Amino acid sequence: MIMIYSSFIFLIYILSFDNQTDTDSVVRVTVPEIKVQAGKIAKINVHVSVEKGYHIQANKVNDEFIIPTTLEINTPITIITGEKAFPEGKKFRLEGTSDSLLVYDGNFKITIPFKTDKKIKKGRYNLEGKLQYQACDAKTCFFPKTVAFSVAIKVV
Amino acid sequence: MNYFLKFVTTLILAFTSVNLNAQDEQPMIGQKAPLFELKTSEGKIYSLEQLKGKYVVIHFAATWCPFCNAEAPFLEELYQNYSGKNVQVVIVDVKEDKSLVQKLQERFNFSFPLLLDEDGSVAAKYAPEGVQPALARHEVPIASNLIIDKEGMIRFYSLLNTAGFDAKLTKLKQRLDELLSATD
Repeated sequence: MIMIYSSFIFLIYILSFDNQTDTDSVVRVTVPEIKVQAGKIAKINVHVSVEKGYHIQANKVNDEFIIPTTLEINTPITIITGEKAFPEGKKFRLEGTSDSLLVYDGNFKITIPFKTDKKIKKGRYNLEGKLQYQACDAKTCFFPKTVAFSVAIKVV
Repeated sequence: MNYFLKFVTTLILAFTSVNLNAQDEQPMIGQKAPLFELKTSEGKIYSLEQLKGKYVVIHFAATWCPFCNAEAPFLEELYQNYSGKNVQVVIVDVKEDKSLVQKLQERFNFSFPLLLDEDGSVAAKYAPEGVQPALARHEVPIASNLIIDKEGMIRFYSLLNTAGFDAKLTKLKQRLDELLSATD
């Protein structure tokens, strides 16, 4: 019986921390590997997942002071990226004012078209990326953060 | 088994009650406000000690904080309406560059001091114990509003609540009116 009590108390303790997620895990970024032929065009799909209960500012913001979600990818000269396509932000009304924010929540995708040089060697290329965001939840707004991710491109 | 069910029910009720209370409960009420001495972007020094004898409204802010910026015009309005009633308003900007803060001043044209907490140490002192334990302490009070009474005691503390955001500072003004009428 003591074991059952202890397990239950432990469960309650764990549950009480369910909305105190470490801010580093508010945003998760995953990028599936891309296969491309030399000299061809392809797309990098950056999947972003925002923890439930949080929102981050959209890429297009309606206030100069707001930190927009931005993305950078370091590419070698043999890979040329095009314009990044961010989704449209959702309106988040600031209660009690006529102002609203444009935000992302849940899951969304950023796509980046790219072209490889005709002379690029076959093989795997790992690009380093960074997503900058500023998140808020119901109780606070967090300092702007950057999450690093990598992009695997296989030239076949 | 009957005892076990009672035990479980008691625990669930206690747990739910703690969570519900946490929504409305104001932290640090009745505690001595941590003292500070901070500069404005023009280099003028303000300390809480020198404001003793006044009611002090403190708003913790950062330029990137949308809720802080939404409250900004209402803080100015509050200052205009209450400065003649022995009330001082200050914004404590947390961990930001002076040039950014100057831009904020230009945008909102505050008539009250905008103080620079460059290392976040003042904000950290005002982070209520146990609130958002996963965060760096200086992050916790961002967008919060406090009233410090004439003796330097915390009499109002509202942490941000984005779901029931009080941009017009209704609850703060209500509390300020109560405090002012009690000392009339």
